[in-house]
Amino acid sequence: MIDLDAMVLARLQFAFTIAFHIIFPSFSIGLASLLAVLEGLWLTTRREVFRNLYLFWVKIFALSFGMGVVSGVVMSYQLGTNWSIFASASAPVIGPLLAFEVLTAFFLEASFLGIMLFGWKKVGPGLHFTATVLVALGTLISAFWIISANSWMQAPAGFAIQPDGSLLATDWWAVVFNPTFPTRLAHMALAAFLTTALAVGGASAFVLLRDPHQPESRMALRMAIGMFAIVAPLQLVIGHASGEMVRVHQPLKLAAIEAYWKTRSDQAQSLVGLPDREAAKTHAEIAIPGVGNLIQGVPKTTVIQGLEDWPREDWPVVGLVYWSFRIMVGLGLAMIGLGVWGVIRCLRGGPEASRWFLRASVLMAPMGFVAVIAGWIVAEAGRQPWVITGVLRTRDAVSPVGAGQISASLLGFMIVYAIVFSGGALYILRLMARGPATEETAPTPEDRAPGTPMAAASGEPGDDGATPDAEARS
Amino acid sequence: MPDIIEGPPGREDRLPPWPRRLMWFVALALGGSAATAAVAYGLRALLKL
Repeated sequence: MIDLDAMVLARLQFAFTIAFHIIFPSFSIGLASLLAVLEGLWLTTRREVFRNLYLFWVKIFALSFGMGVVSGVVMSYQLGTNWSIFASASAPVIGPLLAFEVLTAFFLEASFLGIMLFGWKKVGPGLHFTATVLVALGTLISAFWIISANSWMQAPAGFAIQPDGSLLATDWWAVVFNPTFPTRLAHMALAAFLTTALAVGGASAFVLLRDPHQPESRMALRMAIGMFAIVAPLQLVIGHASGEMVRVHQPLKLAAIEAYWKTRSDQAQSLVGLPDREAAKTHAEIAIPGVGNLIQGVPKTTVIQGLEDWPREDWPVVGLVYWSFRIMVGLGLAMIGLGVWGVIRCLRGGPEASRWFLRASVLMAPMGFVAVIAGWIVAEAGRQPWVITGVLRTRDAVSPVGAGQISASLLGFMIVYAIVFSGGALYILRLMARGPATEETAPTPEDRAPGTPMAAASGEPGDDGATPDAEARS
Repeated sequence: MPDIIEGPPGREDRLPPWPRRLMWFVALALGGSAATAAVAYGLRALLKL
């Protein structure tokens, strides 16, 4: 029975809000790069299919970006309300990293998003493309700083503890480029690209199930297949490298991920099972003996620590970490499989020729988001009982506030999020389901821009008008 | 409902001269930065109250 004290509720609140938040940046990071590629292709080839795809996905990007910003503000708000001891102690290190994110990334995005959305006819194609590339760069720079801050909490470096308990950065290079940062940044960036490729591919496949000849969706599905066919296997390699960093710097997390109960050499590789924290064993386990060490990248004779090396009260929730990891890896393998299938389909008559492939693509569309959330559960729940590994325990980082206060704000968040973000997400889904309709893709003869997101979703093409080009194509 | 997100100029559209386009680029970028800064400093001032 979980005791819902202030710490547990504060953790629940953070988990709830970040699970909503991570959906949007995961999508907007990849979408911003996709938009830059689409616009670049349109500028170089002048093929209207790229322009039409850009105009379709830019609306979804704008909505995702907006919801990402709003849901992200709530995260920093919670650092002050629920995690004030953490904020106070770590501010000299974490504070500048978050400030750099705002100054170098958020301002870059905010400055050029206006041109990207509202300035195409004012600045012309070349400068507009520059703005799109800068927004895409901004999303990646944002990921750089956020992952740096989070990685520092996973494996802190370059700091000293002051007499009053607060932390002071002594080597900023070591702080920013902390040991787990490079692999975690690559892992997250690839996850964002993969998530976007699956979502774009799934949305395109959904349209193609209805109309197999829709030119924009055919192109988008091919581009998505190309992306996840390359990125999914690469993610497996990067993920493994990230796992090796966990083995070196967070052995307790590794023990929870793999349900290593005993410290020993030649660990078995657990595939599935039901970890029992109380009994310190995994029930109904299917494991491969003799390959655990090999998968961890160490010789069979190397001793890998098991959970028994730490006090039981310090153990993370093993079942949660164990299964989140397996969901993430299982989905990653499914993505590789979809990529192989997609490439085969592209070589044999096109992906739209197979309705089974299109259905599978639609089914996999949300799986990137699921994998991202599962991965973050592994990262954050696996770090317990520390909020900063080896430095500050989670129970010592929580604000001196009552469980009732946190419960009230958690309830408020749940209600507001259920309305605002679920509504936003459903609206994006509606746009995606409609697909890039030809009539909304180009300026009107009266020099009007393409439709608003509302007009696009309402299915009233008359609002958008059509260029002679679009009419000719349709 | 008026259109919000602007698309590329059509083939029949004439682009403004490049100094004017550059001026718009700088003005919109600075405007975006200024709006963000105004919101950020405004919120900070509000929170200090």
